[in-house]
Amino acid sequence: MTEAEQKQIFETWIAQYKGLLFKVIRAYATDAMDRDDLFQEITIQVWRSVPAFRHESAVTTWLYRIALNTAMKWTRSERRHDHTNDLEHAQHIIHENDLPADDRLAWLYNEIHKLDGIDRSITLLLLDGFSYKEMAGILGITESNVGVKINRIKKHLAAQSKEYERHEL
Amino acid sequence: MNFEELQKIWDTQNKQTLYAINETAMYNHIMQKQRQARHITHVSELLTMIVNAGVGIFIAITNATSNRTSIALYVLSAWLIACAVFILRGRIQRLHGNRQFDRSMNGELAHALAVATQQVKHSRLMRLNILPIAILLLLGLWETDKPIWIAGATAALFLLSYYASGWEHNLYENRRRSLENLQSSLTQNATPTDISNIKPQ
Repeated sequence: MTEAEQKQIFETWIAQYKGLLFKVIRAYATDAMDRDDLFQEITIQVWRSVPAFRHESAVTTWLYRIALNTAMKWTRSERRHDHTNDLEHAQHIIHENDLPADDRLAWLYNEIHKLDGIDRSITLLLLDGFSYKEMAGILGITESNVGVKINRIKKHLAAQSKEYERHEL
Repeated sequence: MNFEELQKIWDTQNKQTLYAINETAMYNHIMQKQRQARHITHVSELLTMIVNAGVGIFIAITNATSNRTSIALYVLSAWLIACAVFILRGRIQRLHGNRQFDRSMNGELAHALAVATQQVKHSRLMRLNILPIAILLLLGLWETDKPIWIAGATAALFLLSYYASGWEHNLYENRRRSLENLQSSLTQNATPTDISNIKPQ
């Protein structure tokens, strides 16, 4: 694959599926600097993955797998350690759009962020409608293990939402 | 709220994207990182090989041409050249190494864990390597009747590098531990109560 072909596929993926990547970065990174940094890490991994894509899975599954794998291994300490002197950090890659605040969505992201790294990934996949089988493939664990984790997550989120609603009232 | 309601809240963000991308900056960053990654690994391996082999050869030549030759310095010279060969072997293995892990999260974690374990082993080996080099050099200094303050300063420098390499080793060790925790959190077994609570999708 030539670099021009790689660039074309990469740009198409980013244009069509950036929303998916934004969900992952918002769930894993809390402030603007971290989001920018994680987005950079994810796009690098997506770029590298283009020649390896064999159309054996949907592009969304492929991108979710890459984004979640990168986010799981990404830590704030690494950012400080690796990029302290990088000049490109003066240039932000993503900027927040000026959208009206959605309190309920912000609450949901906050609850997802409180979960551990693995449960966070499962929650994102679950909310985006992936099947147990697809999730098992992305995570590399059995469907029954996915089921157990989802059961716990659903119970936890239901309990937290009751608290939220009571507080809202 | 039940899960369907949570999903409706989640789907509201599909209409409008939260962020805008600076595409030129993104592409420049990717290209820069790609060059950087190749360069850092390549240069650090080459540099370590050249320094080890160069110092080994230099010690052998100066020892052979001096009035008082030292057996310890010859051993040290051979040791450093052997280290350069060891690094070369590692480099060849890395360049020919095949990825044997699947691309699932578990596979990626297993791969990251294998790399981290390799780094831990390598940093431990490099740290322990300071000891024979220090001992052989001090023996060489003693055999060639060098002043005691030179031996003292050399020993202090070796102690300092031993301490610094321990700090580096701990960084790799912590990284490995955090990956192990992630993997065990992903693959931990379900309890019978959890299994009985699973609802079919």
